[in-house]
Amino acid sequence: MNQTPELTYSEIDRTVLDTLRPPSGGYWLLIMVLILGVLAGAACWAYQIYIGIGAGGQNIPVAWGTYLINFVFWVGIAHSGTLISAILYLFRAGWRNPIARAAETMTVFAVSIAGLFPFIHLGRVWLVYYMLPYPNQRYLWPNFQSPLVFDVVAISTYLTVSSLFWYTGLIPDLAAVRDRATGLRKKIFTILSLGWTGKHEQWRHYTRGYLFFAALATPLVVSVHSVVSWDFALSVVPGWHSTIFAPYFVAGAIHSGLAMVLTLMIPMRRILHYERIVTMEILEAVAKTIIFTGLIVGYAYGIEYFLAWYSNNPIEQEAFRWRAVGDYSLEFWIMVVCNSLVPLLLFFKKIRTSIPWLFGISILINIGMWYERFVIIAGSVAHDFIPHAWGLYRPSGIEYGIMLGSFSLFFLLFLLFVKHLPSISMTEMKETLDHGESGGI
Amino acid sequence: MEKAVASDIHVLGLFPDEKNTASAIEAMEEHPWKIDRVNSPFPSHKIFDALKLKKSPIGWITLAGGILGFVTGFSLAVYTGLEWKLVVWGKPVLAWFPFVIVGFEFTILFSVFANVLGLVFLGNMPDFKGLELYDPRCSGEHFGILVSCEQQDQEKVVEFFKNRGGEVTIFD
Repeated sequence: MNQTPELTYSEIDRTVLDTLRPPSGGYWLLIMVLILGVLAGAACWAYQIYIGIGAGGQNIPVAWGTYLINFVFWVGIAHSGTLISAILYLFRAGWRNPIARAAETMTVFAVSIAGLFPFIHLGRVWLVYYMLPYPNQRYLWPNFQSPLVFDVVAISTYLTVSSLFWYTGLIPDLAAVRDRATGLRKKIFTILSLGWTGKHEQWRHYTRGYLFFAALATPLVVSVHSVVSWDFALSVVPGWHSTIFAPYFVAGAIHSGLAMVLTLMIPMRRILHYERIVTMEILEAVAKTIIFTGLIVGYAYGIEYFLAWYSNNPIEQEAFRWRAVGDYSLEFWIMVVCNSLVPLLLFFKKIRTSIPWLFGISILINIGMWYERFVIIAGSVAHDFIPHAWGLYRPSGIEYGIMLGSFSLFFLLFLLFVKHLPSISMTEMKETLDHGESGGI
Repeated sequence: MEKAVASDIHVLGLFPDEKNTASAIEAMEEHPWKIDRVNSPFPSHKIFDALKLKKSPIGWITLAGGILGFVTGFSLAVYTGLEWKLVVWGKPVLAWFPFVIVGFEFTILFSVFANVLGLVFLGNMPDFKGLELYDPRCSGEHFGILVSCEQQDQEKVVEFFKNRGGEVTIFD
């Protein structure tokens, strides 16, 4: 699939390297606004540490509120980065190349932010090292039969692997920036690129190593969100205890991640003048994948109701009845409409080739996927076995502040990235040109 | 490709496309000069074929890392399970299936560590000295063939590159 027949190697370099020129005042203004958002979030967290975890709205029975909702949300956002960079690489899908770098970067930042939420949820964050297996005088060890400990292992692995994958992919492009830089910038990029010269011996090992990287990242990404789903599915709570949770969560994660790719790529291609590289066909390919993941998610919503009915378990049936018509019905219907129905609009070519529609739909899916996590995490325990133990949950202002901080941090990191590092892989773009076939040896 | 030649002089032939680069590499087989390296802005199959490169052994290093990772993860779960026994309803203390998940995550983690270390060592990185015999255009739109030859062959090498449309740089 040749996306850009009219492009040349030098045009690719020029287009990408031009984005690294000193930014305008508007950019710094946006950076300042986002820093304020991050500071607001940090202040809320500091307040919570001072007051105690009760500063959040969590209660009995809803002990897992927005901190866990945001954790699952950000892990989900991360997943499409690995889908695009690793899984589509293995399938040799040419349309991945222009968006792979931005998606991988999104993965690294999203996992980092997701990793903050268990810390925030701990309350006494300085005791976080209790989760790690380290020799101690009390012979206490983490319980490796618990999905929560699986999660610690899986998320740490995912963050490490996705960061290394991202950096490895960046090395040839860092060398390209080094070769066109001067002064201090040249020195920095010389060190960052590890003296890469693109000699055949380097490429020989790199192509093979990158292939293995992709092959390893692929099962990892599936395992990570499966493990996240088992945090819920291995309990006995109605609405959580379900065998479909692993594939359901993986599909949902990719669904939300692809939507976030569109949310980021659409303004980025316009602001950084990437229209010739990130073509409409590429955005359309992402939209088509969203239709697919949206159908899986919609099927999962439906099958949950079928299982509740078919199980003939009155508690399960009540949990799902209440989900649709109870106190969180608004959140439920936002979830269903935004995640399953709105993406169906993308079946129409006119809609999936329209930038405003694509952008709007991507935002709605992001909102819908956040609410999906709300419905599953808060909704299930709010209304489980015993009526006198039922209770409702609403996030507190502190939680909203921390959430604002997390979104601000994500967009801040991404904005810093696009102006300081190549946001499109020049190497992979050159490979897609007719006169440069891709592939490892 | 290995030819025993004294490397007094380094000559770099710079080509604007991979096809000419690959044909120059193939034609060089008839000459006694040694190709030190070929720089390219992206991995090129044509160049790999012309150089008759073997598969990288990095897969074996990755595999070794993976095996070590699985053993480490699984052993850690078993060891900690035995050290801190959680006896529930008389069920066995060691739960093998959950431990496979820990073993799997460690497999991926250690495979990737081994892969990256293999890449660094086999690719001879960091290699800041390599930048001395290098043209920065090779990370952009050019392909470079760096040849080492004896002093008396310098002119022949220069002519060889020029005849094939290459631009020549001589490093003393």
